[in-house]
Amino acid sequence: MRIVVGIKWVPNTQAVRFDPKTGTLIRAGVPSIVNPHDFPAIELALRLKDMYGGEVIAVTMAPPSATQGLEHVLGMGVDKGILLTDRKFAGADTLATSYVIAKGIEKISKEIGPVDVAIFGHETIDSSTAHIGAQVASWLGWPYVYYARDAKLVEDGKLRVTRQTEKAVEEYEVNLPAVVATAIKALKPRPVRLSYKLRAKIEKPIIAWNIEDLGLDPRCTGLKGSPTVVANITWMPEVPRKKIVYTPKDPRDAARWILKQLFSDESVAGFLKKALWGEE
Amino acid sequence: MKVNCEKLCPDWPCEQPDEFKDIWVVMETDEHGISEASLQMLTPAKKIQSKKPEEKIVAVLIGYNIKQYAEIPIKHGADKVIVVDDERLKTYYPRVYGQVIVDLAKKYKPAVILVSATMKGREMGPYIANTLRTGITADCTDFDVDEKTGDVLMIRPPFAAIMLAYIKTPFRRPQMGTARPNVFPVPPYDESRTGEIIEEKLETIMDPGMQLVNYVPVKKEEVLIEKAEIIVSVGKGIGSMDGVKLAEKLASLLGGVVAGSRKAVDAGFVDPERQVGQTGKSVKPVLYFAIGISGAAQHMLGVREAGRIVAINIDPEAPIFKQSDYGVVGDYRPILEALIEELQQLKEKGPEAIEELLKE
Repeated sequence: MRIVVGIKWVPNTQAVRFDPKTGTLIRAGVPSIVNPHDFPAIELALRLKDMYGGEVIAVTMAPPSATQGLEHVLGMGVDKGILLTDRKFAGADTLATSYVIAKGIEKISKEIGPVDVAIFGHETIDSSTAHIGAQVASWLGWPYVYYARDAKLVEDGKLRVTRQTEKAVEEYEVNLPAVVATAIKALKPRPVRLSYKLRAKIEKPIIAWNIEDLGLDPRCTGLKGSPTVVANITWMPEVPRKKIVYTPKDPRDAARWILKQLFSDESVAGFLKKALWGEE
Repeated sequence: MKVNCEKLCPDWPCEQPDEFKDIWVVMETDEHGISEASLQMLTPAKKIQSKKPEEKIVAVLIGYNIKQYAEIPIKHGADKVIVVDDERLKTYYPRVYGQVIVDLAKKYKPAVILVSATMKGREMGPYIANTLRTGITADCTDFDVDEKTGDVLMIRPPFAAIMLAYIKTPFRRPQMGTARPNVFPVPPYDESRTGEIIEEKLETIMDPGMQLVNYVPVKKEEVLIEKAEIIVSVGKGIGSMDGVKLAEKLASLLGGVVAGSRKAVDAGFVDPERQVGQTGKSVKPVLYFAIGISGAAQHMLGVREAGRIVAINIDPEAPIFKQSDYGVVGDYRPILEALIEELQQLKEKGPEAIEELLKE
C-alpha cells in the first residue's frame, strides 16, 4: 500500500500568549510541534504499512521550517516526507490549502506511485476546522470517512474502516483510493526510534515541491486562491457574570454560602426547588 | 460587488455574488425527526435575514421518509423548505448527501448556507463548500452582516478562545458557515407560520464508493451534557476518581450530570463525550458547577450560554473567579462533602427550610 499522511507543523497553542495591549499573538519564542491530532493518523498509516507493506509518505504544506516536523515523523517510521512550499502558498484558507495538498497527492501518484489512501488527523490545534480531509476528498473525487478509529484491508481490496459516532459504532467498506480522517486520540502513536532517525539522516528522504513543480496557477493558491478573508479581529466580548468571590471560614460555611446565593437567585432558585422536591 | 473573473482561479466557475439569494439551513434528521442542532441554525439565519430582509430562509431537508417533517422548520422560522425524499438516501454517506446539496445549490444559487457542526455536519459541510469552490468558516459563535458590502460576517474564535475573527467570503457564493450545537437556541415554535414546501426529485445519485456494513448502536447515557440543566464539571484539579464520585453525588442529588474540562478528559477522569469547551461541546445548563477548573479561555467558550456558574477552586488567582457568578476559594473536597450533606438535609426538611437558611 502507498499511504499518504497529512501533517501540520503548528505553534504549540498551550504556549502562546497574547499581547493584552494590541490583542495580537506573541509567537516569538513559541515552539512549534507536529499537530497532536495528526498522531493517530500517522499511527494508522504505519499500522497499515506494518500489516500490508508498502510505504508511508508524510505531506505538509508549510514554510521550510516545517522540515523539522517531517523529520520527527520520519523518526517514527514514515518513509518519505514531502514539503509543499512556496511563498505563493502563504495566507491560504482551507480551500487553498487542501488544493495544494490534493495536487501534491496527484503528483505522488504520478511520479512515485499510485496512492491508495490519504489519512489526515481530525483537526489542527491552531485552527480546529476539521476541513482538510473532506476538501481533499472533494478535489480528488475520492470517498472519505471521518472519525476513524481503525482500518484494515478486506478481501476485495476495500478498506474496512471502523468509526464511532454519538450513536453507534459503524463499519464501512470503502473503495480505494480514499481519504480517511482519524478521531482525536483514536490510536496511541509509537515513539520515535533512533534507527529511523539515523536512516532519515543518511537517506534524506525529504523532497520539496514548489508551485512550479506542482504546475499550479498562482490564482489558485495562497491568499489569492482563498475564498475567505479575515475582515477583522477583536477581543471576544465578555459574558456578564456576577463575579462574587467568597473565602469561607470552613467547608460548612462555604456550602451554606453557596446555597444562600443560589436560593436567593431567582434565575436558579425555582429550578433547584424543582430538582430537590419535584415542584416549584 | 462585481467580480473580475480573470483574477479568479480558472478552476472556479465565474459567478457574480448578486446572482445568489436566500439563506439556506441544512436540516439533519435521525430516527426522532429533525435534530435540534439543525433547528438551532435558524437563529443565525434569522439574524442575517433581519439585516437583509429581501432574503428568504430556506430549510433544506434531505433523506428518506423525512417529508413528514417539512412543516417543522417553517414553524420555527423558515420561509420555505426544499425536500428531497428518496429511498436511495436511506443511508447517510457524506459525499452522497453533500453532492445532493451541491446540486441543489447549483440550481437555486443560495447566498448563504448554514450547517450545524454536528459530527455529520462537520464531515459534510467542507465537502459541499469545496465542491462549490467556495469558502466555509467552521464553528462560528455569531453571524452578522457587513453593512457596506452586504457580505455575511462569520464570527469565530481563532487560535485561542479569547479573540474573535470576522471572516467574510467577498467574491464567492454561497457563503458557508457552521456553528456547534447549542451555540444558538432553537427559535420559538409558532403554529401560525406557513410557508412553501418544494419537493425536488433526484435523477441520478452519486455512487458513494463505500458501504455501511456494520452498525452497532452504543448505549446512550441517561442525559447528554448538551441537554443537561445542571452540570457538575470537573477539572484537572479534581485529582482523583474519588473526587469525580463526589461530583457525581452532587449531580445526582440535583438531577444533573457530570462533565469535565479537556484536562480532566486527558487525565482519564471523564469520558471524551463529556468534554466541555472549544474542542469539546458547548453546553447551556441553568446552573454550572466548575470544580477545580482553572478557567482557560478554551473551556469557558463552551459555557458562554450557561445560566449561572459556581466555581470552587483552591487558587484565589484562578481565572475562573473572574468568569463565574459565585466563587468559593478553598479545597473542593470538604466543600463538596458539606454541600452534599446540606442539600440532603434540605431535601429531607422540605422547601420551608429555605427560608430558615436565607434568614441566617
